[in-house]
Amino acid sequence: MSCGVNGLRRPITSGHDGRDDQLEVHVKKFSILAAILALSGLQSSVAIAQHGMPGGTPMTFFVTSEPIGDGGNLGGLAGADAHCQNLAGIVGAGDRIWHAYLSTQARSDQPAVNARDRIGTGPWYNFDGVMIARDVAHLHGDTLELARLGNNLTKQSGLTEKGQIVPGLNDYKHPRDGDWEYVRTTPYSNRHEVLTGSQTDGRAFSEEFDYTCDNWTSNGDPDPGQPPTGLAAGPGRPNAQIGFPDRNGGGDGSWNSSHGTRGCSQTSLVRTHGVGKLYCFATN
Amino acid sequence: MRKIIRWVLISPLLVLTALNTAFTQDSENMPDSQDIPSSLMTFFVTSEPIGDGGNLGGLEGADGHCQALAAAVGAGDKTWRAYLSTQARPGQPAVNARDRIGSGPWFHSRARLIDYLGRQLNRPIIQSQIHGDTLVEAQRGSNMTKEFSLTEHGELVNGIGDPLPNRHDILTGSQTDGRAFTDSEDRTCNNWTSNDEGSAQVGHSDRVGNGNMSWNSSHATTGCSQNDLVSWGGVGLFYCFAVD
Repeated sequence: MSCGVNGLRRPITSGHDGRDDQLEVHVKKFSILAAILALSGLQSSVAIAQHGMPGGTPMTFFVTSEPIGDGGNLGGLAGADAHCQNLAGIVGAGDRIWHAYLSTQARSDQPAVNARDRIGTGPWYNFDGVMIARDVAHLHGDTLELARLGNNLTKQSGLTEKGQIVPGLNDYKHPRDGDWEYVRTTPYSNRHEVLTGSQTDGRAFSEEFDYTCDNWTSNGDPDPGQPPTGLAAGPGRPNAQIGFPDRNGGGDGSWNSSHGTRGCSQTSLVRTHGVGKLYCFATN
Repeated sequence: MRKIIRWVLISPLLVLTALNTAFTQDSENMPDSQDIPSSLMTFFVTSEPIGDGGNLGGLEGADGHCQALAAAVGAGDKTWRAYLSTQARPGQPAVNARDRIGSGPWFHSRARLIDYLGRQLNRPIIQSQIHGDTLVEAQRGSNMTKEFSLTEHGELVNGIGDPLPNRHDILTGSQTDGRAFTDSEDRTCNNWTSNDEGSAQVGHSDRVGNGNMSWNSSHATTGCSQNDLVSWGGVGLFYCFAVD
């Protein structure tokens, strides 16, 4: 049985290859059923009832279905963790301890926090029970060979806590898909930039420039008079480092560290196709 | 009578609407610079396999297939190479796929496609990035996405979740760094001459499958016949790069 989806075409991947073609055909038939259920308004209850899938592995990873909504101000790490915990609780996964995958930068009175050190040891599984990564080294590609092979976080596996695919680079392209007023009412438009504040290895940036919207407390934007620096961090410039669960964008498809943002306000995040989503990992 | 008058009034509007729709559709079908595979193309996935499993007629046969497909879309003036390794044999050193393809950067057939905001998307792929030569490059990845790995016709290659058959297994015979395997196991269908016994290392053009994202070295097939390749999720496609 296919897990429900909110309308997006939703291929089910078992994570392995080739030889389950027939299974996939059946899954597709069920996907059509699921789409019909979705249209008739029954879908959300189906999705929640099936989270974890019968006989599958419990969910220990998700992308938040909703942002906090105040740009880069998440209420610090505590606020972000609470958002993960809350969303997990709504779908019946609140018995675990959830942390947001976020780094914070060193301050005079506090050391840096590395996202990779906050998420437990894995393995982590998505809504469908598909493994995202075996452990921290696999997730980040700690060796050349691991990094070249990559982890198993793809557009198909990077699901929300409700089992939804996160709309990505080529979904529902529209001239207004960088406009928050449009994006907030158009759930299928591109919103693939996930806040991390991290380098590719999952560690905090050591430079003084802002990569974390002032350790996830700022919803500010660069002064209008400031010379543009594109999407790079710069002096006095509110900025967050982001990655892509659909692995497509920024010329590299990095899941956790592709580029910065135009600023830290909600509208600035949206200008480059993010809404302030977070990766959430169960630490136990 | 009143109904008839209403229809008389409405029908020209309907006709106009229909004409308008037809016109719009026509102009959408008109070829323009965005719909023609770019002459800048220096990379593609073969739209069709040779069709004899892992027997490609050796590297020469595979290169010839790349060249012929390129020529058929007007890109035959470049020198094309198949991204394939061969393994060492007595008196014959190994050949590394990465050393056969020039230095890049490479553009796919829609290199000049401009998006609706006027931005040029689809950045090229870079030799060091696609092979992850440094740890950060390997961790970050490259622009070698499903959307980048188009055929010479500019079409997507079916992958996981697309209509069957799945064609995402791409023959490479290579390790993740683009070099030939050095052990004694066959990973190249006997240097691309076997359509029977043996094994071929493949990557995934859609970057999905087998628990990793590798475009060039995800897993090995069992067997080298055309049917063997199909049973694993491919048809014997390969990557073609222009060296000049």
